Amino acid sequence: MQQFLNVTLTGLGQGAIYAAFALALVLIWRSTRIVNFAQGAMGMFTTYLALTVIEGGQSYWVGLVVALVAGLVLGAVIERLVIRPVEGGPELNAVIVTLGLFVALQALAAILFGSTFRSFPAPFDLRGFTVGGVNIAFTANSIYVIVAVVVVMLALVVLFRFTDLGLQMRAAAFSQEVSRLLGVRVGRMLTLGWALAAVVGSLSGLLIAGGSLVFPAYMDAVIVYGFVAAVLGGLDSPGGAVVGGLTIGLLLSYVSGYLGSELVALAALAILVAVLLVRPQGLFAHTAARRV
Amino acid sequence: MSTGRLEVRGISTSYGPVTALDGVEVVAEPGKITAVLGANGAGKTTLLRTISGLVRPQAGQVLLDGADLTKAPAEAIARAGIAHVPEGRGVITELTVEENLRLGALLGASRRKTERGLAQVYEMFPPLAERRRRDAHVLSGGERQMLVVGRALLTGPSVLLLDEPSLGLAPRIVAQIFELLRGLVDAEGVTVLLVEQNARSALSIADVGIVLNLGRVVARDDAATLAADDALRHAYLGF
Repeated sequence: MQQFLNVTLTGLGQGAIYAAFALALVLIWRSTRIVNFAQGAMGMFTTYLALTVIEGGQSYWVGLVVALVAGLVLGAVIERLVIRPVEGGPELNAVIVTLGLFVALQALAAILFGSTFRSFPAPFDLRGFTVGGVNIAFTANSIYVIVAVVVVMLALVVLFRFTDLGLQMRAAAFSQEVSRLLGVRVGRMLTLGWALAAVVGSLSGLLIAGGSLVFPAYMDAVIVYGFVAAVLGGLDSPGGAVVGGLTIGLLLSYVSGYLGSELVALAALAILVAVLLVRPQGLFAHTAARRV
Repeated sequence: MSTGRLEVRGISTSYGPVTALDGVEVVAEPGKITAVLGANGAGKTTLLRTISGLVRPQAGQVLLDGADLTKAPAEAIARAGIAHVPEGRGVITELTVEENLRLGALLGASRRKTERGLAQVYEMFPPLAERRRRDAHVLSGGERQMLVVGRALLTGPSVLLLDEPSLGLAPRIVAQIFELLRGLVDAEGVTVLLVEQNARSALSIADVGIVLNLGRVVARDDAATLAADDALRHAYLGF
């Protein structure tokens, strides 16, 4: 029972991060129909920037702000300079461009920050709570991770549901032509969409790194799990991304806890294949998922 | 309001090797409904898409009150006051009915005016009011037409481009929309360019008419004169 509880709580914590990463993928997919394979590398890069700031003597929170702002700028710049030219072209072009970005950013990070393992601080305690003499693998840091992801999600819901800007961004994502006829500056909305997604991606990179080691490829596993989570949720639905992320986090945690951690990557691929075979549109069909 | 004079000068538009418009001249005056008539493929829709900036012409100019909009992006043309109601597919089905309308009102003006404008649209089209919180994909064809017309009105346009507003609608609703247009034009001096297959009903509310054939203007005159021209009616208008 104790193990089940521990495995579940660990899964939820991991799942929250996958959810954030999947959300970043979904934000970009919805607005530009591009799967951003560079999302992980972008988050890795901004996390290194945060680490540089923190090692320079600033607090974790200054590092967090630096990473999020850097993500915002990086997302906008990449959309304008690299993605804009391939938008509306064959889908494969965009895929190759984002894969190229992924490789380039990892190489650049290795040059700038080195390719050795470096530890990244956690803002909160990494020791588990003790309840009635039983140790629980749930830390203050896990609570921080979950709260951070929930706050970001609520902020996105508020933006998309209740603001004029969010309405224009959704309209631009669903129908560029109609939006332009209504005076929506579609180009700006797409840039903003990439920027926001990159902020969420940066957050997931930072949360993964907290209390752990960073190196240029540390996000690679998260890319796979986050992508599976996004596909599970239907790629089109922010709510689906969240549910998909938590589901993947839990499933992989059970696999790791009961079957062995070496099977985690295999299990993720098995889930991906199963979803694509059984329900390729994801768990959340179009209209039901949009009500988040 | 005396603004909203739309002038199309010598527009030629092609899709690859296919010429859709060939030196078309149109002047649409404020306070008048100008009907653009012609068979399928005559270039009517292309004319509207060229004016609203969705298609780039190879030659010619589009002027609004003398200002050249030929090279402006579609969103800037919309902001200049030209509202284009495209045929059929103008509803964003993933958004709710009210969100669709609010999107139009964003171009319009202040929040207070938005609420009043929304109320007016709901009053005009009660079926929209009943479904305001539903996703727009639940709307029928006629209701979608009401939605796009209402949304265009909320943008506070000086020029209204309407592409086949009667398509697939019950005659009663067509009459209602046309009556609404007429009222708007007479009361606020809006310029209307109305593209219609249904030439007879279009000429019945239009002030002037233009007949396109294979991308060229073959006739332009008062609506009543065109409707009375038997040879023209038989050759191009099919009634």
